[in-house]
Amino acid sequence: MNFKHSSTALFLDPSSTATVEYEKGEKLNIILSPSLYWVKKIVLPVKSVREAKKLLESIFEDSLPEGHYSYTAYKSGDEFLVFAYEDKKILSLLNAKNINMVDVRSIHFAQNEFNSLEGAVKINATQSMYLKDEVLVLAPSAWISESRELDLGSMELSKHTIKLQQFGHIVDNKSLYRVGAILVILALILMVEIFVASSKKDAVVALQDEVFSKYKLQSTMFQNRSTKSKYKNIHKTQTKLRQYISYFLTMKLKKMQKITLIEYKNKILYVTLSGASKGHERSITSQLDSKGVKYKVSYGDASMKVEMKI
Amino acid sequence: MNQINPLQIGALLVVLIAFLFFKLHGVKAELVEANASYKMSEKLAVEVSSLKSVYANKKKTKNAINRILAQGSLKTAALDVKRNKKSIKISSKSIETKALNSLMGKILNGSYNVTNLKIKRLSETKASLEMEIQW
Repeated sequence: MNFKHSSTALFLDPSSTATVEYEKGEKLNIILSPSLYWVKKIVLPVKSVREAKKLLESIFEDSLPEGHYSYTAYKSGDEFLVFAYEDKKILSLLNAKNINMVDVRSIHFAQNEFNSLEGAVKINATQSMYLKDEVLVLAPSAWISESRELDLGSMELSKHTIKLQQFGHIVDNKSLYRVGAILVILALILMVEIFVASSKKDAVVALQDEVFSKYKLQSTMFQNRSTKSKYKNIHKTQTKLRQYISYFLTMKLKKMQKITLIEYKNKILYVTLSGASKGHERSITSQLDSKGVKYKVSYGDASMKVEMKI
Repeated sequence: MNQINPLQIGALLVVLIAFLFFKLHGVKAELVEANASYKMSEKLAVEVSSLKSVYANKKKTKNAINRILAQGSLKTAALDVKRNKKSIKISSKSIETKALNSLMGKILNGSYNVTNLKIKRLSETKASLEMEIQW
């Protein structure tokens, strides 16, 4: 049996052919076989794990096959245990074993869980693992004279766990954070622009209200337009009335021609001229025509009456 | 230990940005509309205010006409003046043409709303007058 598990602990090895069975809703603590990660025990010129993590990529540079790796480190006395692993490879294996990530509570390195292992234990049909210079290594079972079966039943797991980057192979973290940051900044800029535009709009609306109170306008634009139209018509009519009266007052009349009546009512202007009987009105009408005045003419006793709509 | 796909977060951000663009477009359109409405209101306000100050200012019109009527040339004209809430009626059965010219010159050169006017020649030097000015 290559997959040995207690109620929750499960040893994950790629060379195992055993099927994994667990109850629905049961949470699994996965222990990764040494074949799923690379480990080094080294002395680093730093004190904290946080500082050490910055150096991990360069520590494993040139020593790993091509792949997309994640790195982590733990302190072990004065030294550091540094790890490199491929998230995608582990995820694929979990998937191949029908283990849903939702059911995984934690993932551990065998290195951290078997650091006081005595002798060798079999992890699959052909391989065993044992501690060599405090580092857990794999060896063919045929090389080891005494190798016992793996038992996870009484095992207490350490707090050293890792979180797999389920989508790290799609986008690397740096690019992801960079694109995310750009999108967030863009969203913030847009929010600020919306706020500024909205504030400007409110200010303009307030100014418009001020205009209404300053000029004592009526409450609706419709009423104000109607008022404007009313007074504009008055202005137009009064201008036209004065213009038409001035045409007659400045008109060149013949000696016997005189203006005897100027009357304006109901927006109609009447001007009566004496000495301008039919046939002798040409000098008057031609002057009105030249000004573009529309009029009607009627005749009385030696007089003519000009009617104009204002 | 299931994680959220970063592409889903990215898609969410893109949707958020698209929504914000849409919202910004709307707010900017509202701003343009508010600006146009403000300019239109201001123009209308100035026009209405200036027209009203000319044709609907009862006090101003009344005072101006009183000043015209108080002129020396019109004092002797025996004008009949009737005032009511909305208008003033000025009439004379016989007025000197000189006084008539003076009065009409001032009325027609001023901005008054003349709604009725009747000037009838009586003789070489006399005329009759009926006039109504409203406000």
